[in-house]
Amino acid sequence: MRQRVLILGGGSGGTILANSLDPRRFDVTVLSESDQHLFQPGLLYAAFQGSRARLVRDERRLLARHVHFVVDTATVVDLEQQWVETAGGERMRYDALVVGTGIRTDPGQIPGLAEIGARVGDYHSSVARARTLWEHLDGFRGGTIALGQATAICKCPPSPIEGILLADELLRRRGLREQSRLVFFTPYPRPYPAEPMNRIVEPILEARGIEVHTFFDLDRIDPEGATLTSIEGETIDCDLPIVVPPFVGAPITYVPGDTLDENGFVRTDQRTLRVLGSDTAFAIGDATSLPTSKSGVGAHLEAKVVARTLSGHQANFGGRTHCPLDLAGGRATFVAGSYDAPVVPAPPSRLKHLMKMAFARLYWLSLRGVLDPAFDVYFRLTEPPVTAPGAG
Amino acid sequence: MSTPAVQHTLVDSRGSSCPGPITDLSMAYRRSKVGDVIELWATDPGVTSDARAWSDRTGNPILSLEESDGKIVVVIEIQRR
Repeated sequence: MRQRVLILGGGSGGTILANSLDPRRFDVTVLSESDQHLFQPGLLYAAFQGSRARLVRDERRLLARHVHFVVDTATVVDLEQQWVETAGGERMRYDALVVGTGIRTDPGQIPGLAEIGARVGDYHSSVARARTLWEHLDGFRGGTIALGQATAICKCPPSPIEGILLADELLRRRGLREQSRLVFFTPYPRPYPAEPMNRIVEPILEARGIEVHTFFDLDRIDPEGATLTSIEGETIDCDLPIVVPPFVGAPITYVPGDTLDENGFVRTDQRTLRVLGSDTAFAIGDATSLPTSKSGVGAHLEAKVVARTLSGHQANFGGRTHCPLDLAGGRATFVAGSYDAPVVPAPPSRLKHLMKMAFARLYWLSLRGVLDPAFDVYFRLTEPPVTAPGAG
Repeated sequence: MSTPAVQHTLVDSRGSSCPGPITDLSMAYRRSKVGDVIELWATDPGVTSDARAWSDRTGNPILSLEESDGKIVVVIEIQRR
């Protein structure tokens, strides 16, 4: 009898996993709250370059034909009784569950942020919000732009740095940089959270005259005057606040109740990707508590590990990350590391930028598994060298 | 009105490399209140300098910082919020 695999979430991880499972052995269902699939990294270019590239596709068309696709919202997951309840009143039973519900922005954590987001947009929520932000940047004629992340949890950790550098590039191209002040704020001790990458990033920010405020834990925003205030009382006045909002996991009730950690992420074994305390449930992608970057690459690699495990192979996740970082000016680098190999700085280059842009075109194919052999070779060739644990 | 009880929060970041421990500390700080104590466990050696810098900037003193067998324990009192 075929094993019933229920995948919660139709993002990168859920889609790749569904398409990786052999239909002769698995009866696969994807339960997703939306029938649309968003290529999230594209929001950066919609917001800072006015890109009109198509970022959303019909999820049904991205899934293999044998996959059942249900548009509904999971509300309760009972890991003990092995069922999932939905907002539509369905109770779905499973033999194996994979949680890939991602994370979502939660501006309500910061007073004033919801108003700011509605007015000037952001580049982590939706295409509409990214286009709103572009309208503001496009109409910007000088003054202060303050950009940073609200809390230490961020989908795509390179994105705040990418945003400020692309804003700088835009202003320079338009001859507005002299009359503009760019401020970057972060709750971390340095502009780029991982120290080795910061050795590349910080000198670039300095060379481009970008003011940096470290240890800035955003507490509130005065939406009228656009004043950002930290928990410690430090303030930044600006004309255009661009804030990476706080993120939270999906609003799902789990049984047992300690399935989620204090940040609302699914407690997940770092290597096996099993939900802690469960033999039949796994978690992948941004929804997990894994100490890795919340990124599409991670979700992709984790989906492959779970597919292999479900298929009866020995498979473990090594914590691999490989995030492209656009440094503007047509150059990029990659933030690559793993559990056993802390992040190693890679010299910025035009080739890496070309690779980042090429991947945006190949993304939809990658969901179908068409590019798996090429990805396998690429990840092997770019494996960061293992050094002493904790050397980062 | 009674004062909320002081909390001692254990944050276990062992096995997490830079910037994992400081991410966990920052998130625990956001959830804390004045008088609380945060005890951070880490194995990444970078946490020592990061925690000291964090303490200096936020004005929340380190009560103790000890390392033994690769485990670093930083105890911080939240005095400013």
